[in-house]
Order: sequence, then structure tokens, then C-alpha cells
Amino acid sequence: MAKENAQNLIETSDYIGHHLVNLTFGWCEKTSTWGFANHQQELFKGLDSACKVSEMGFWSFHLDTIFMSIFLGAVVFGFFGLVNRAAKKGVPGKLQNFAEFVHEFIASAVNSGYHGTSKIVGPLAFASCLWIISWNLMDLLPVEMASFFGHFGGGFNYFKILPTADLNAPLALAIVVMILVTYYSVKTHGAGGFLKELFVVPLGPLEFISYVSKHVALALRLYGNLFAGEMIFILIAIMFGQFAMSFSQTLWFLPGLILNLSWALFHILIVALQAYIFMMLTIAYLNLASTKH
Amino acid sequence: MNINATFFAELLAFCIFVFITYRYIWPSMENLLEDRRKEISDGLEAASQSQRKLEEANKESATILDGAKAEASSLINQANSRADQIVDEAKEQAVEEAKKIKLSAEADIEQSANKAKDSLRDEVAALVIAGAQKILDKEINAKANKDIIDSLIKKI
Repeated sequence: MAKENAQNLIETSDYIGHHLVNLTFGWCEKTSTWGFANHQQELFKGLDSACKVSEMGFWSFHLDTIFMSIFLGAVVFGFFGLVNRAAKKGVPGKLQNFAEFVHEFIASAVNSGYHGTSKIVGPLAFASCLWIISWNLMDLLPVEMASFFGHFGGGFNYFKILPTADLNAPLALAIVVMILVTYYSVKTHGAGGFLKELFVVPLGPLEFISYVSKHVALALRLYGNLFAGEMIFILIAIMFGQFAMSFSQTLWFLPGLILNLSWALFHILIVALQAYIFMMLTIAYLNLASTKH
Repeated sequence: MNINATFFAELLAFCIFVFITYRYIWPSMENLLEDRRKEISDGLEAASQSQRKLEEANKESATILDGAKAEASSLINQANSRADQIVDEAKEQAVEEAKKIKLSAEADIEQSANKAKDSLRDEVAALVIAGAQKILDKEINAKANKDIIDSLIKKI
């Protein structure tokens, strides 16, 4: 019995670990070659490297994150691009109505929150909000689904479909925002004024710390929320999994079902809310940067 | 959580998507919505304008109708008075005519009475003469008596 429990524990931690590893393609120091991390895929035999994910350094790419984010971006922005291209001035169709609703929603947020003159804020808010929502929606797909199709369909043993749960993606967005905030701050206050604001007035270097941390927090907030959500889905999935492991655990099925359903419903809120928060903070930061105060 | 070169790929992808939105999605949608807003406000403006025009036309038609009614009633009045006048005239004419007819009838009557008198007188004279002749056949000269009888006739 004890042995069985220990076995279960190892399997459980393996399961969680498996779901937290990205499909990685990178530079392997040991063999000085580029390749997939060891045993992550079976599709490209020659590209399998001797390194594990943890042995790969900075120069590696999470192919699943990159593929999913670009794919979702292509779907979302392709949709809006096509709808806009087909848009008529007269009575709008259903898709156009939806696109206009989304646009108006974001445009009104931008108009009420941003009082500068920059033309990039609207598109930036639009792109970040919709891209993040499309990422976050992936969290509502069953956690096993990607692995299942990856394993049996594509030959990939590791495939995370949620780009938001990979810190690289939210951080990239936040850094773009940070660069723009810096640019508009310098433009509005002058380089000297901006540096003075960061290091001198009113609390000295504390301002600099807050400046950096608010942008890092922008990324971490999004990442943390979705990562935690994903983690809870994984734990609930383990609950389901118990019932497959031994007959005596069948009772876990019902609570697992209820939990999964309720968490998914609650998560719909987080999906939209985190994207909205990211967008609103982006607008607010850019507004602070481009107005004199 | 491990930061690696994925970050740069995401950075690049985000910049591209922002650029696509900036170039192709945001402005076209803004223009579209702006055009629609303008069209709607124009339409509302036109609607209120035509409403105003309709009210004006209603007012105008009401005044025209009032004028027509007034004209019609004055025409009727005129016609009525004219008719009265015609009737009066006709009456007067009729009375006059009647008088004329009466006069001429009276003249006729008088004439025929005179005629009758004359013829009666003549007849009486002839009868008297005939009677007298019968009475005085032999002795009385018709010629000498005739004067007497004529004077008698004239007295009648």
C-alpha cells in the first residue's frame, strides 16, 4: 500500500512537471548543436539534441509558445482585418457588428483614459487586449487535449497551448509598453526631466524602483494569474486521473467534474479581466508618460 | 519559469501585430465608424428638417383651405343675394307686364264696347227708321225724318 502510494506520488509529480515544460528548441552546450530538448518530440529524429530542457541556456526557444501565440494572433488579427476589409458603410452584418463593438469598447477606454496625442495607443491597446484574450482562452481548453493531440497526432511529447503561462510572452508585451512609456516620457519631459523624475523628485531613487517594478508587475500579474489558473486545472485533472488509476478512487470523478466546471466558469472572468487590466494599465501608464503633470 | 530567447520572438511578434493593427485595422475601423456616425447624424438632421417642412406644409395647406372656405361662403352669399335680386326683378317685371296686359285688355274692352255701342246705335237707328217707316210709311218723308232720328240716335 505504501509502495503504491509512493508510486502514485511520483506519477503525480511527473504529470504536473510534464505539463509545465515547454517544447524547447535551443542551443545545446554539450554537443554544440541546435536541437529539440531530449525526448521532447519524435517527429524530427535528426533534430533531437542530447541536452535536457534544464541544460539549455538562454538561447533556446519555446516553440509551442511562439507557434500558439503567432497562430492565435494570425486568427484574431486576420479576423479583424478581413472583417474591416469587407466592412460596409451601411447596415453592418453580424461579424462586422461584433468587430465594431470590440473596437468601440477599446476606443472608448482609450479615449477616456488617454489624453495625449499619440496615434499608437489605440492600436497598442487593441492589439494587446485581443492578443492576450486569445491566449488566455486557451486555458479553457482541457489541459490534456494539447498533450493528447501533440503526442498522438504530431509526435510532440510536450506542448503547452497557453502562451500566457510562459513568462516570456507577457514579459515581451510589458517590455514593449515600457519602451513606449520611456519614449513618451522623454518626449514630454525631456531626457533631463525624465531622469530627474526617476532619481530625484520626490523620493529619490525609489521612483526608479517603482518605475521598473510597475512594468515587471504588469507582466507578472498576467503571467501569475494564468499560470495559477492553469495549475489548478492541472490539479483538478489529477483528481479525474485518480479514477483511472484505481477503481477505489472512482468517487473522485464527481467532485472533479464539479470543480472543473466551476473553475472553468470562474476562469472565464479571469481570462477577460486580466486582458482588460493589462490594456487599462497600458493606457494609464502611457497617459502618465505623455501628459505634463 | 525560465526567461530565454522566446522573449525576443514574442517581442518581435507583438511589434508586428501592433503594426498590423496600427496600419490596417485601427484606422479603417475608426474611419468607418466616423463615416457611419456622420451619416446617422446627417440622416437625423434630414429627418428633423423634413419634419419641419411637413409642419410648414400642413400650416400652409390649412391656411389655403381656410381661404378657400371663406371664398366659397362669400361666393354662396353673393349668389344668394343675386338670386334674391333676380327674383325681385322678375316679380317687378311680372307685375309690370300684368299691368300692361290689363291696360291693353281694358283698352280692347273699351274699344269693343264702343264698337258694340256704335253698331247697336246703328242697328237701333235702322230699327227705329224701319219702325218709323212702317208707322209713317206713306206720310212721312224718310229724308225729312231721318234728321230727327239721327239726332235721337246721338242722344242714345
